[in-house]
Amino acid sequence: MPRIRVKVDEDLCIGAASCVTIAPETFQMNAENKAFVLDHGTEPEGSKYERWMEVTDDQMENILLGAQSCPTLAIFIFNEAGKQLFPDM
Amino acid sequence: MKYVIIGGGIAGTTAAEELRKLDPESEITLISLEFHAVYSRVLLPHYVKAKVPRERVFLKKETWYAEQKIEWIVGESVTKIDPVNQHVALSDQTEVAYDKLLIATGGEVKLIEQDVPGVSYFRTLDDADHMLELLRALPLEARAGIYGGGFIACEYLNIFKHFNIATTIAFRGAHMWSRALSSEAGELITNHLITNGVEVIPNAAVVEIHGEKIIEAFSVGDKKISCHILGIGVGIEPDFSLMREATIDVQDGILCNQFLETNMPNIYTVGDVAEFLDERYGRHLLAGNWMNAQMQGRCVARNMFGERTVFNLVSSYATNALGLEIIFIGDTSRAHAAESRLIGSIEAGGISELFVRNNRLVGAILVGRNSDRAVLTKLIQEQTELTDTSVILSS
Repeated sequence: MPRIRVKVDEDLCIGAASCVTIAPETFQMNAENKAFVLDHGTEPEGSKYERWMEVTDDQMENILLGAQSCPTLAIFIFNEAGKQLFPDM
Repeated sequence: MKYVIIGGGIAGTTAAEELRKLDPESEITLISLEFHAVYSRVLLPHYVKAKVPRERVFLKKETWYAEQKIEWIVGESVTKIDPVNQHVALSDQTEVAYDKLLIATGGEVKLIEQDVPGVSYFRTLDDADHMLELLRALPLEARAGIYGGGFIACEYLNIFKHFNIATTIAFRGAHMWSRALSSEAGELITNHLITNGVEVIPNAAVVEIHGEKIIEAFSVGDKKISCHILGIGVGIEPDFSLMREATIDVQDGILCNQFLETNMPNIYTVGDVAEFLDERYGRHLLAGNWMNAQMQGRCVARNMFGERTVFNLVSSYATNALGLEIIFIGDTSRAHAAESRLIGSIEAGGISELFVRNNRLVGAILVGRNSDRAVLTKLIQEQTELTDTSVILSS
């Protein structure tokens, strides 16, 4: 399974929550109304804006959809080699 | 199959993208009044505040349209829809035939009567560029005015604060979002603005602008306020004359069913203009927010392709007024709710209002109470029956 790094830029996040609607296993809102990142619905080491996770192709597709739905493009996805997969550079 | 989409915003472009995935061999034409590739209106405040560069507001490159084999017509508007012969006429006199037509035209920003340099509107990228020019030309010790009491007014508040410009806001109602918010929540926001140094003038029914070559002041009632820039945010006003002429049913928006189909065969509508039947609430509603526009774009593509799909979304919209978070979730129409309840207080710094109909939560407005969001959204999504309303609402 591919290993990816998912990151929310909390400064850009405005709490639109479209990522939560599409990929709730990966994104939830915190008390600051910012999206934080979960690993398959869990929060090892507590609430974080950035984490590594292993995903299937389908899960990857859905996380990508969640990132694409963000109106401020606050979600960044990197592959294992550190290449930014989204947003397109 | 020939799909024609009127409107190159997020709703129309998402529909085009989905249609291309579903129907690789089809012809897709996207007609856009703006000359820009699709961009995020939600990112425009970030751009004005220099949190992102201008090129970051674009969601697609200009080359994307050709790569996707989408015919992209820019700078043209539709002057006629012929639902019998199934074609639309463009402002350059050409005609475009369709098998399936999508109307995703969004709203035109409502203008005030007077137009003097220094008056700013804020809906498009061009508006944002214009605002930046005005901001750059401001003198030291500049003063700003805002007329309006909704989401756009809120963006102006945050932008002027960011540039440390003394600000006066005036709006028609007793408080911001006067039709949507309770008087308590309205007072909470007003207090927050005043604490943050903003002058607030409620009940300002008419605005008058002073200055000829450049704005010098604006007045509401007998109060005159000097300013060097005036941000106007009094809502959007779609023009439905084309639709009426084409016998498409229109109410407050273009009426459509739960499949986003209008009353006319092969004509669909999405986004800010669509007044859609939401089965969850059992009524037609308008939802002028990003999440709704994008998800409807996705859903309508399936329906246009022939996969019957009910549009089903509890949409929400979040903003903040100088750091105070305001979140609208679901159906927040006071007129359509059987009952509403407040949680929290002005003193506590947070108020959530819950809207209940048929013993189910249908919507909520949270002011300074972000932590209610997840639980309330879930109750609306799952249409949980509130067996004892008072207990659940006060929990």
